[in-house]
Amino acid sequence: MTLAGPRLTAIGSGKGGTGKTFVALTLAQAFADLGERVLICDADLGLSNTSVHLGLSHGGDLPGFLAGKTPLKAAIASVTTEGHAPFDLLAAPPGSGALASADKAAVDKLSQLLRRVAFYDRVLIDLGAGIGEAVLTLAADADDVVVVMTPDPAALTDAYAFVKLVLKRTGGRAPGLLVNMAANAPEAKRTAEALTTSARTFLKAVPPYLGFIPTDMRVVECLRRQSSLWQSYPHCPALTAITGLTGLLGGGPARIRASGSLR
Amino acid sequence: MQLRTFLAKDMRQALTDVRNAMGPEAVIVASQAAKGGGVMVRAALEEPEPPLDLVDEAQGESDDVDSLFHDSMIRRLREKKSALPGRRVFDRIEMLAAFAKNRLPEALAHTLAESAAKAGLSDMTLALAAAIDQRMTTTPIDFASAKAILLVGPNGAGKTAIAAKIGAHARLAGRQVRLVAHDVTGAGAVARLKDFADHLDAQIVTAESAYVLAGVVANAVRDGALAIIDTAGFDPRQPKAAAAFSALAQIQHIDIIGVVSALTDSEEAAEITAALAKLGASRLVITAADMTRRMGALASAALTPDLAVGFVTRSPFVAGDLETLTPLALARLLIEQTEGTQ
Repeated sequence: MTLAGPRLTAIGSGKGGTGKTFVALTLAQAFADLGERVLICDADLGLSNTSVHLGLSHGGDLPGFLAGKTPLKAAIASVTTEGHAPFDLLAAPPGSGALASADKAAVDKLSQLLRRVAFYDRVLIDLGAGIGEAVLTLAADADDVVVVMTPDPAALTDAYAFVKLVLKRTGGRAPGLLVNMAANAPEAKRTAEALTTSARTFLKAVPPYLGFIPTDMRVVECLRRQSSLWQSYPHCPALTAITGLTGLLGGGPARIRASGSLR
Repeated sequence: MQLRTFLAKDMRQALTDVRNAMGPEAVIVASQAAKGGGVMVRAALEEPEPPLDLVDEAQGESDDVDSLFHDSMIRRLREKKSALPGRRVFDRIEMLAAFAKNRLPEALAHTLAESAAKAGLSDMTLALAAAIDQRMTTTPIDFASAKAILLVGPNGAGKTAIAAKIGAHARLAGRQVRLVAHDVTGAGAVARLKDFADHLDAQIVTAESAYVLAGVVANAVRDGALAIIDTAGFDPRQPKAAAAFSALAQIQHIDIIGVVSALTDSEEAAEITAALAKLGASRLVITAADMTRRMGALASAALTPDLAVGFVTRSPFVAGDLETLTPLALARLLIEQTEGTQ
């Protein structure tokens, strides 16, 4: 939580398929386990698929919430994993394309609404692929932006474009870099450095390197089976890597319940 | 469309699972032999289209003036008043007015406004966030690996309560905690710390002199415990007090954290935090953010050069949360504060 309300953390990448949704969902669980009250918003307005990742039958009613017809309480879906803290999901029904044509006003409104959701410490925004108006507006209005990239060259150029436009929109608040699907630490470092070097040279800004997630077939397996990595492989390095990010993104330690003079 | 994956020992079982979970309308879209025997089946279900009408329904055409009036009246009554304020367009005068309302020190106000104007953004909050981002750093406290934390600041800033707060969070991170009272003369100072220590299941140690304190810290580091040192409050701008403090600052492993209250006068807050940075403080904790509606002291403390913001507290209670401060959050507090933050 920030002093001015929930802390907005946006996850973007430019390129599709870099693992934004996986990172966002895992971060949501990690923050929730720290004791934060977490809302994750699937802002891939055209192609919402967070609930598919989770194997949920419904992911909430984002269109209704945006239109002011459904109150937030009714528009969210609760995500519960055995042995873990629950968090809430706000998304459009998957495969409906319901918000594909959301205009600038709708995106602006979404951004303002997310800033003002009560009862949450953290709002994670799973940005869509691309660098469209919706993606950039939501990124600029977020407290933290995480760029997910892979060692794949196309991901580098797209991440660069994303960083460039976010810098332009925010007047220089640089997003942080997260390298996904890296074979090892040196490869991740090389990948991030390629981007930091270009950014330093051409954009006069240095995006901080947040860390990397190692390639792991178990992650892919769980995504395909729509099962929870937290349940199947709780000690897998990908989870450890993402949990390690929480501190860098201002993750609060557990809420303390106390009474008596300790209050 | 709903898409779900099922693992079963054979096809018949898989189909039963699909029917049970998704109903009779579900369609099998893929199936294959699963790794390690059995089958993996993927089923899809198309839901009815949700009603989506972001635009108002078309109104019935009518040329009767009365019914037109009637319709428009009903429409207006039904319309939900949007409580959302729009984005504010950057305007230097308005920004300076907001700063003045918050009692921001004048020099800082002009520097910020200048740097916000240079950002070249039309959105006022984002422009200010960009200006703040250039001057403010935040470094959260790593409770799991911190060694010794020494709290320093003026009287009444909340050092003892912050010591207990940090202690509580470190305990949650699985650390052993030693609360160290350096101020043994203040009335009730040790007693209060001791009460906190009892609740936190932490040890309490007193260390009157820098020499004893160095030993206590070394012992704590050896035992893997986090030493949290509560000092007597003093004005860090006083050369005499600062000189006395320098003996403490030189102790090995100590991380000095300044504590300052958001209730301080904003010019004073800037002076005090600058003095704290000079004393060797690397981070700052700002307390009592809930007690003021004028964010001048908070902002000028947070924007002190060479001093990172650790966290901000909004409640006098130990169990209260440690709030973070991001450039955007501070910009919103300064500019959009009139809307109320909670």
